[in-house]
Amino acid sequence: MHGNTQGLRWLQATAYNVLAVGLGILAGLALVVYAGGNIEVALSSLFLNPITSSHGIQQIFVLFVMFYTMALGVGLALKAGLWNIGAQGQFLTGMVMVFFVYIYLGFLPWPVLYASMILGAAIGGLLWITVPTILRVKFGANEIVVTILLNVVATNFGFYMLSGPIKSPGTALGFPITTELPARFQIPNIIASVPITYAVPATIAIGIILYFLVERTPFRVKANTVGESTETARYAGISIPRVMTITMLAAGALAGLAGAIYIMGYRYELDIGSFSTNYGLLAIIVALVGRKHMLGIGIAAFFFAYITFGAESMAVATSVNSVVVFAMEGVMMIGILMGNYLTERKKAT
Amino acid sequence: MTIALSNVAIAVISTTLQLSPFYLFAGMGEIVSEKSGVANLGLEGIMLMSLVTTFIVDYATGNPWIALFAAIGTAGVIGAVFAFFAIQVRLDQIALGLAIYLFGLGFSLIVFSTAYPSGLTPNYVSLPPIFSGWGNVPVIGTILLKQNVLVYISIVVVVMTALFLDRTSLGLRVRAVGENPKAADNMGVSVIKVRFLATLFGALMFGVAGSYFAGNFVPGFQTDIITGRGFIVLAMIYFANWKPYRALFAALSFNLVYALQNEYISISGSSVASVSTLFNMLPYVFLLALIPVFGRKARMPKFLLKPYRKG
Repeated sequence: MHGNTQGLRWLQATAYNVLAVGLGILAGLALVVYAGGNIEVALSSLFLNPITSSHGIQQIFVLFVMFYTMALGVGLALKAGLWNIGAQGQFLTGMVMVFFVYIYLGFLPWPVLYASMILGAAIGGLLWITVPTILRVKFGANEIVVTILLNVVATNFGFYMLSGPIKSPGTALGFPITTELPARFQIPNIIASVPITYAVPATIAIGIILYFLVERTPFRVKANTVGESTETARYAGISIPRVMTITMLAAGALAGLAGAIYIMGYRYELDIGSFSTNYGLLAIIVALVGRKHMLGIGIAAFFFAYITFGAESMAVATSVNSVVVFAMEGVMMIGILMGNYLTERKKAT
Repeated sequence: MTIALSNVAIAVISTTLQLSPFYLFAGMGEIVSEKSGVANLGLEGIMLMSLVTTFIVDYATGNPWIALFAAIGTAGVIGAVFAFFAIQVRLDQIALGLAIYLFGLGFSLIVFSTAYPSGLTPNYVSLPPIFSGWGNVPVIGTILLKQNVLVYISIVVVVMTALFLDRTSLGLRVRAVGENPKAADNMGVSVIKVRFLATLFGALMFGVAGSYFAGNFVPGFQTDIITGRGFIVLAMIYFANWKPYRALFAALSFNLVYALQNEYISISGSSVASVSTLFNMLPYVFLLALIPVFGRKARMPKFLLKPYRKG
């Protein structure tokens, strides 16, 4: 009986989510038509482009890896009631660190340097979130405010690094771009002809490991208790600073790691274009849609990767600016929150 | 040398004042909203929509006042939607705010590029300086009299917000529903109504801020043009401990640091881009450094982010 109602609730939640996504797509289509695009072209490119071209497959998996890695961190912190709005800043720091290590530790032998670049990016993201973590744990300063501030600082810091310390020496007029990573520093495809890199199984593995570390241990209860009521947590003898520090630092390291995967597995070079991606913000939506569950986030990440690339190719096909994706996902997010609310309300009564 | 120095001082003070209204209007809006228990993280999305409205209406009518009020109207509509979902439906305020931000980020540019397919920004007619004829008066003329009329109005709004929260009964009710909605409800205050009004006021102020952004920060429009400056307001009022006069101080000192580094870059004529980008970080790092110093005593409204359900 209990399992039955739970199954019903799951079905209901899914139905609401589908409805929310439909609403978002409808809003996106309305905007395309408003901007003078063709609706048939829009529909076919939105749904079919992601799966009918090799480029589409590549993009979906790149976005999936970005979303999953970053949203795991955001979701982890959310379990402890902490909002990491700064995934974008940690992601940028990770991208910068890849080149910083590549250039300044370039004397290391290949396998060591390769690993150091990935590790360096994770450490970069971790260092970047250390500031809000200390301010939160030691001074009680709101982490939302501090992570938002640090996003702006990260963007400026990234510009600085790009225009000097990690700039390609080859560009004469000071154009801020790095050198391209040579092939041996790129993450290779699993099968040479299919554009899916080893980053995909690696990310899924991280998700599964986190699932066992977080969802299947007492840590889940601890984090949830801290997230729901610090008073209860204190009463239960849970070390709040410890839970907060662990989840925050892990979130930063994961977002930094996403930076390494983005550069080494897809972009290979860093320029200003990579700074305005907004993946860090979308990761928050993914974490919420995945209901902070380490595996649920994976499903949500894949789904949002599909929709994001679909919407981007829809924008290209109808010559509408690709920011239509943001408007769509904004509407989708409101719908999903609404769906969560309706499901929770049913549960309460 | 002394003349050059005084010129620099005039330029710095003038820039500091010129940038202030954006942070002051938005700051007062967010303070009132958060005092009632509702944090609006969608502020930058609302500002972007108001900014686009300003450009379009200003170009169509040639009247910056009509454009300003149209921008406030746009902000009011989005603000009402936010308030409905946040207060009536009780959705998570942070997630909802970010959704509104994303929506505004995308929608604003679609509207703009549909209105102006060439991508070129129309000529923007700015609001007049308050004493236009007196702009030639040395020092005072440049610093004070040539400023946009909204610079003065923004200072008045700071004073009025402080008075409103401290001295009026509606202000007391705003604080009450943010500190202890249950008690306020028992005393016959409609928590939903007061929160709705406070949140709507906040949104209208974001509309003024967004409109002021046109012509005072950057000439044209492009994606993400406000680039996080709206979100900075959240940090300012946090540092200010939700007190209007301290928010005024925060905004002015932030702008002063900004103006100083800006002036330094232009004087040194630094062709090295890396130096200027490093200096651009200063105002934000300055604000960040203030948080452990002053933010320790910051005590946010007790029921901030917590929806209220009657009964």
